[in-house]
Amino acid sequence: MSDMKRDPAEHAAEGIHPAAKPFLFLGKDTVKANFMWLPLIGIVITVIFGLMHPLKHPAPWDFVPGSWAIFGFIAYTLIVLSAPFLFKVLARNEDYYGEGGLPDPDYSTEHEGEH
Amino acid sequence: MFDLMNINPGLWVILAGLLCTLIPKSSATHYTRKLLLIAAPIFAGWLIFQMHSISPEYIRGVLTFGSVELTTLRIDGLSLVWGYLFCLAGVINGIYGLHEKCRITDSSALIYTGAAIAGVLSGDMITLFIFWELTAISSVFLVWKGGDRAYAAGMRYLAIQVLSGVLLLGGAVMVAQDRGGDFMFNYIGLDTPGGWLMLIAMGIKCGFPLLHNWMQDAYPKASITGTVILASFTTKFAIYALARGFEGVDILIWIGAIMTCFPVFFAVVENDLRRVLAYSLNNQLGFMVAGIGIGGALAMNGVVGQVFVHVIFKGLLFMSIGAVMYRTGTAKASELGGLFRSMPYTTVLCLIGAGSIAAFPLLAAFVTKAMILAAAIEAHLWIPFAMMLFASAGVMEHSGIKVPHFTFFAHDSGRRVKEAPWNMLLAMSLAGILCIVLAWPFGGYQMLYALMPFEMDYPYKPYTWDHVVFQLQLLFAAIFAFTLLKRYGVYPAERRAEILDFDWVYRRMGFGAVKWSSAMWDRMNVHVKRYRDKTLNALGRKLYQAFSPAGAMSEAAPSGLSAVLTAGMLLLTLIVIYVLGA
Repeated sequence: MSDMKRDPAEHAAEGIHPAAKPFLFLGKDTVKANFMWLPLIGIVITVIFGLMHPLKHPAPWDFVPGSWAIFGFIAYTLIVLSAPFLFKVLARNEDYYGEGGLPDPDYSTEHEGEH
Repeated sequence: MFDLMNINPGLWVILAGLLCTLIPKSSATHYTRKLLLIAAPIFAGWLIFQMHSISPEYIRGVLTFGSVELTTLRIDGLSLVWGYLFCLAGVINGIYGLHEKCRITDSSALIYTGAAIAGVLSGDMITLFIFWELTAISSVFLVWKGGDRAYAAGMRYLAIQVLSGVLLLGGAVMVAQDRGGDFMFNYIGLDTPGGWLMLIAMGIKCGFPLLHNWMQDAYPKASITGTVILASFTTKFAIYALARGFEGVDILIWIGAIMTCFPVFFAVVENDLRRVLAYSLNNQLGFMVAGIGIGGALAMNGVVGQVFVHVIFKGLLFMSIGAVMYRTGTAKASELGGLFRSMPYTTVLCLIGAGSIAAFPLLAAFVTKAMILAAAIEAHLWIPFAMMLFASAGVMEHSGIKVPHFTFFAHDSGRRVKEAPWNMLLAMSLAGILCIVLAWPFGGYQMLYALMPFEMDYPYKPYTWDHVVFQLQLLFAAIFAFTLLKRYGVYPAERRAEILDFDWVYRRMGFGAVKWSSAMWDRMNVHVKRYRDKTLNALGRKLYQAFSPAGAMSEAAPSGLSAVLTAGMLLLTLIVIYVLGA
């Protein structure tokens, strides 16, 4: 049975907010896997529009069609690909500085020293 | 005679904060405090409006102490924007914190807000310094309300902020000396050592590279409401001071460009989402600093607009993560996910904040960030422009995607919680509406333009085909890269860790050096004491041997030796008398 067709009481029992019900499909694996087509279509459309409406004040590299898309893709990928190396170099145990305590003790559900 | 129009409006908010400290704790008085929390910034905003209506360059509250003349109130085009903005932020923050029954938070929030308002409306450097320090002292309580974990961070925060104030005062005195005793806070520049000191002071407060760590250290450790309040004022106060004193100073272009880029790399590996937002805050400040460095009407108006919308959308992001933390008890990305099922309104509002910071068309920063970038293009500053463009993709990564994705989507953490309290939703909704209104093409961003103080030759048009299309290219490409990297398992999973930053130098290495020095000092003291005791004992023994009743001097000496000794003593006496007599 799909999430949409389930009894509202069932959702309530699961702690799902009524306003979230129409959007539960966003949690499906197929939706997540195919979401990439949406920005790809966006790129194609904006690159075509970019050819029709070129920048009035271009940077020296803007002679390449879709230059901002290329820039955005490379920059984003570079940032993300740097993460494993940075994590290896910079990451330490959470109690590295030995200051202890919980983030906002009035509400925190985290426990000291938990990893 | 008492004249309301002569008094800096920020002082009323500070007074309300002081009153809050005196109101006894009870459920009935809780509402009085909350009323003050919201009413005081509204009253201050109304006063600013009234004063500005009288004169666009409103100067009052001139006090003279000896040869020093203080101008405690100045409302002009530049300070007006910050004045209104801080009042607005005070109201939104007040609504956000309505559920919290903490007298310390209410009092320090009001004093802090008031100090920030009074600081930007002060006309001279001494008054600026006083409120500069007051923002530091009043806000540290918001950090300490984060509990035991925040104590050390609060101490570091206070020490760094106070140091910034001391440098500001030192610089101000030197600048005033060069100007023949004029303390008015106008353009300062870097021609004098005092100017450099003031730049460093402001650089500390607005997070210049290597001076930035107090932000990522203290903000994520403060209380939920505290972080939201802290994110609104201190750094933007410093941006105001930079805009007033250092417009067009070239070095700021490069400092700002570096500021936009380096936090991106820390944010990508950080697991604590409030710390991610603190890095994101640093990155956004970079755009403002670079804009001030570029100077000119377009860039400066861009900075003014960016500050205005940034307080709103960054506040919205901090508020949404605060609401999540309030309900789930954590802001760690590794512990969250799938919360759109139980917090749909917070999700939508967070997405508005994320879209705003990423500069999506029709959302806040689309207009203002573009003005700074356009100014860089006009000045042919290609490398800083490329750095800021790179950072824009970075903003999309950490604030546009990472924060909402790992909180509300990603894998389902299984947490089923209540939606945020009504007051939090109201505050976030107000911020969300402003994010849309201030970028709306039909009469929306024009309201922001009406506040901009610098006269432009022609108004910048943000909604042109080329701007919309190329901005969307950048954003779609970043989202596509994310989905692609995620699909092929290249996007790194969030893991719990402490990510080291430059503060390691003083938190670990510096602290270690102090501990080592202290241990060495203790050991040296032990040795010094031992040698001192040994020497004194030896000397005492020798003296005893010489002068005690059993000592050598008490023995009967031969008459010849006695005669020589007596003659020697007489000679010595004669020499002393001769020297003294001469």
